[in-house]
Amino acid sequence: MSTTGSNQEDRDDERLLALLGAGLAAADPIPEWVSRGAAESVTWARIDAELAELVFDSAVEDLAGVRSEAGARLLSFRAPEIEVEVTVEEGVRRLIGQVVPPQELDIELVGPAIAVATRSDPLGRFTFDQVPAGPLSLRCLTVGGVVQTQWVVV
Amino acid sequence: MTFALRSLLYGSRIRRGLPFGSMEVESPSLAEILAAAARGEQWAGEQLVRRYERLVWSVVRHFRLESNTAWDVYNTVFLRLWEHADRIRQPEALPGWLAATARNEAMRTIRNQRRQVPTEFEYDLADPALSSLDEAIIEDEEVASVVTAFKQLEERCQELLKLLVVEPKLDYETVASLLGKPMGYLGPTRGRCVEKLRRIMERRRPGDDDAPDRR
Repeated sequence: MSTTGSNQEDRDDERLLALLGAGLAAADPIPEWVSRGAAESVTWARIDAELAELVFDSAVEDLAGVRSEAGARLLSFRAPEIEVEVTVEEGVRRLIGQVVPPQELDIELVGPAIAVATRSDPLGRFTFDQVPAGPLSLRCLTVGGVVQTQWVVV
Repeated sequence: MTFALRSLLYGSRIRRGLPFGSMEVESPSLAEILAAAARGEQWAGEQLVRRYERLVWSVVRHFRLESNTAWDVYNTVFLRLWEHADRIRQPEALPGWLAATARNEAMRTIRNQRRQVPTEFEYDLADPALSSLDEAIIEDEEVASVVTAFKQLEERCQELLKLLVVEPKLDYETVASLLGKPMGYLGPTRGRCVEKLRRIMERRRPGDDDAPDRR
């Protein structure tokens, strides 16, 4: 039996775990460019916008009666005044969107490796081609202000 | 001096922790840093990433995502943080919020991968963080000996200890939910796993074989 008190043992355990933590962090480092990219994203992930929350993701759930096509992911975002429905065709990396209610809007697709803009047609439809994999968000410039979709990896 | 002015003048020094000669500048509180992040100020982004990235990374790695996917999820967690920074009313809840967000996004990504490649994707892939342990060169001898012993632990202990050593600390409720175990599992299992780690290390120490209890 150990003669040391339990406080001493606790301290020994803490020290051992601290050493282990240092070793595991050294063995699986986060690359500097990844850290820097995350820190810099605070400046361009603009928060002037109203948030459109992700309310449906076919990757996570399937609506009763709605079957997502193979190779396509369906996402729905909702803000008080508009909804944005998005289909991402995975093979060709095309993003097809629908604004509800239908309206013409300037729409930007933003992410760490992309910032492009388009305009929805009178029926509220829009398309982006060659969408890179990674976190993405859509910024919709409505008359009432900017509505931005929640970040999601597509 | 108001905080906004101070951060304008000294933000880059605060974040690098540089001394100010005789001038004393208190570091901003977490609430102040979050507010600045919500305004898109880069120094605040840097502080929050530096402070919490190991926590986020450890949760993402717990799900054994390969590096490219893990980086995407890690990025997304911080993008969500900027999005939510002005809505976090209790800064002390931040580690739990980050862990939950990292877990949700990692699981979303896993489900999406499964849907795309249902037969090829399996959860029990080799753990990328563990295989990196074999290649790591750790100069500090004491740290290296702990890591060497850790590699010989059973998987159950490795998974638990990896989450328990994260700084800043994950609360027990978060760790239990990540492991899919009840809260009562953690304390005793932690004790047994630390004891095993210690025994492995002592076994490796020459001349100590006859006195396994001596430290």
